[in-house]
Amino acid sequence: MTSQTTIPATSGAFTGSGLQMPKTVRVNGLNHYFGEGELRKQALYHNNLDVRRGEIVIMTGPSGSGKTTLLTLIGTLRTVQEGSLTVLGNELNGADRDLIVRLRKEMGFIFQAHNLFESLTAYQNVNMAAELVGLDPMVAEGRINSLLTRLGLGHRIHYKPKSLSGGQKQRVAIARGLVHKPKLILADEPTAALDEKSGREVVTLFQELARDEGCTIIMVTHDNRILDVADRIVNMVDGKIKSNVAVKETAVICDFLKGFPLFADLTPNTIAELADQMMVHEADPGDVVIRQGDAGDLFYLIRTGRVDVFINDGTQERKVAELKEGQYFGEAALITDEPRNATIVAHEPCIFYALGKDDFRAVLETSATFEEELRQALFRRQ
Amino acid sequence: MKSLTKTPLAWKNLTHDMRRLVVAICGIAFAVLLMFTQVGFQNALFDSQVKLIDDLAGDIFIVSKAKYTLAAEKRFPISRLNQARSCPGVEGAYPIYTELTTSVVRRINNGMGNLGYPLRTIGFHLDDPVFESNEINDQSPKLRVKGTALLDRKSKQSKFPFPLDDDAALEQEYVELAGKRLTLVGTFDLGTDFAHDGNLLMSAESFAEFYPHRVRFGDPLSVIDIGVVDVDPAADVDEVRTFLEQTLDKDVFVMTRAQFRAEEIRFWDKSTPIGTVFLAGKIIGFIVGMVICYQVIYSDIADHMAEFATLKAMGYTTRYFIVLILTEAVLLAVVGFIPGTAVSTGLYTWLSGRTGLLMVMTLHGVLFVLVATIVMCVASGMLAVRKLLAADPANLF
Repeated sequence: MTSQTTIPATSGAFTGSGLQMPKTVRVNGLNHYFGEGELRKQALYHNNLDVRRGEIVIMTGPSGSGKTTLLTLIGTLRTVQEGSLTVLGNELNGADRDLIVRLRKEMGFIFQAHNLFESLTAYQNVNMAAELVGLDPMVAEGRINSLLTRLGLGHRIHYKPKSLSGGQKQRVAIARGLVHKPKLILADEPTAALDEKSGREVVTLFQELARDEGCTIIMVTHDNRILDVADRIVNMVDGKIKSNVAVKETAVICDFLKGFPLFADLTPNTIAELADQMMVHEADPGDVVIRQGDAGDLFYLIRTGRVDVFINDGTQERKVAELKEGQYFGEAALITDEPRNATIVAHEPCIFYALGKDDFRAVLETSATFEEELRQALFRRQ
Repeated sequence: MKSLTKTPLAWKNLTHDMRRLVVAICGIAFAVLLMFTQVGFQNALFDSQVKLIDDLAGDIFIVSKAKYTLAAEKRFPISRLNQARSCPGVEGAYPIYTELTTSVVRRINNGMGNLGYPLRTIGFHLDDPVFESNEINDQSPKLRVKGTALLDRKSKQSKFPFPLDDDAALEQEYVELAGKRLTLVGTFDLGTDFAHDGNLLMSAESFAEFYPHRVRFGDPLSVIDIGVVDVDPAADVDEVRTFLEQTLDKDVFVMTRAQFRAEEIRFWDKSTPIGTVFLAGKIIGFIVGMVICYQVIYSDIADHMAEFATLKAMGYTTRYFIVLILTEAVLLAVVGFIPGTAVSTGLYTWLSGRTGLLMVMTLHGVLFVLVATIVMCVASGMLAVRKLLAADPANLF
């Protein structure tokens, strides 16, 4: 028996290795409202989001889309009103002060404004975060110095913010957000005030933290120079998560899809959209995924595992082929609108990404229209 | 060890903006100065009220129970002193006579009119060791002539315009006291207070001449204003006092020097508006300081709302912020108190020179103002801290 899920293929819930990392942030049916009574206005609508340990998440979306609200909720800076929000294993809905203070110490905040104390030197400002978590002063000193040096402020460690440039101040604030080795970093446009080079240095640092320390990073940014570091891109519109895409997994799916002759001519954009429409299916060994003679309504891409293909020629059932990761089946019935022409049985535990008939057709039509338009355009040139 | 290495945020924030710090220090120093001025004047005035007590020799004092202040003309019979003399531990008991309402001086001179000016006449037996002052004791032989007196040099100049620095000229002055001819044979030093514009000092015999009707029928010296008791140096003053109190009739108070002094000050402090007036002055100084201190702390908080909100986001708790502001308040109090006290000391010296009032920095006064300053700063800090606690880190993103 195969189980059909509503998990989008591009969410990265099932990676190639099948390894499930613990969730750092789990948002479930989260609603949020601003204002009271008549003026009460909903800012977040039933949002769901899972962020794994060590992931770098970039949140995008127009202003007012609720991404900052979501970020402040995750950061315990606002009280959860409706739904469930689990951060670092703790439910925030109904959390008490002690839990919130404890969680805050495990997080690093980087705000758009640097918010440094003018009266303290760069070192002392960073040390405010180290002191709070009770870091050993000797250890803290080494870490602060190396962080500031790494961020190109080695010669300004004991300068006050007044004698630092805007970018330098922002880098001090970033160091302050990172010094206590937080498990979760929440950043709002961390690179907006930085030039290309130091912005790159900051995101490289983020990547190292994510890779080496398992630090999870969620940042709101419009800086497309740093999109390449994202493991996941979350797009919000009007208080809803419109798309939530695991970048690597999507790339894998797109690669697979491009191998399919029918899709070979599609533009990368269309392929990505197609990938977005796919849902995850699971199957255990021996499960029949499709049966010969049934009506066809899904197109399957094998993400992991192997399947056997059987054809019944009226007298006997015969194994004709074996399909494996990256290969696909079920397209014929969708194109021709005829019943399934073969039976597919899972050979081992399998994960498929499946595309519905209508979506499949729509894409093909888009493709046709595209070609048609191209022809028209070329024709008109003459 | 760990707490020593903590970033001293309160101190850093306070000293970061030097101009603001100087203004803050000036403001708090001004409040300190205001309070010191009130305390100084009050102490000086109270001290002048009890100057007579301070100048008297003796360990224990006896006054009538009806005598609620030195200026009240309530007396007790001499027999109480005779009783006291017979008590163990008493070396001597001496009477002091004072007269105020009928003690009016007129200066009859070149038809300048004959307005009378009241002052206090003090009479004592010349052989009794009742005064500490050598000046008085040295001049007492001059007072053996009846109708002579010493004039207080600090008597109000406008009312008693006598040539104080020239004894010979003083003796030539034609002066009447209570309608009788008085010869001024010298000067002494006592000082004025709220009730007395000046003082005359004379022998008990002269006193009896000038005021024969103190007692309707009988010896005018048979009623006494203040009894001065000398205690044997070997005896315990408190024990003697208790014994006297139990032995003497219940129409007198028996008090040690400290009690007598405290009672007199208490009267002026509590039973007259004087205490209230000075209290009001101190409260005004306190409020001025509080407003200034509140302004300084509040604007420091208001200027750093985003930074404080960031600290909150990082996980700093309400307690940290309260301690931070308390520290800032106490630091402000101390850095304002030091220059304030220095200036006040200067002012005391200057005022003492100008007015003759006894302005002294007492330990008690310094402690009082220090505590008031700290309370003032801490209270305003606690008022201002509410602003800080309202800092919302959710607004930072």
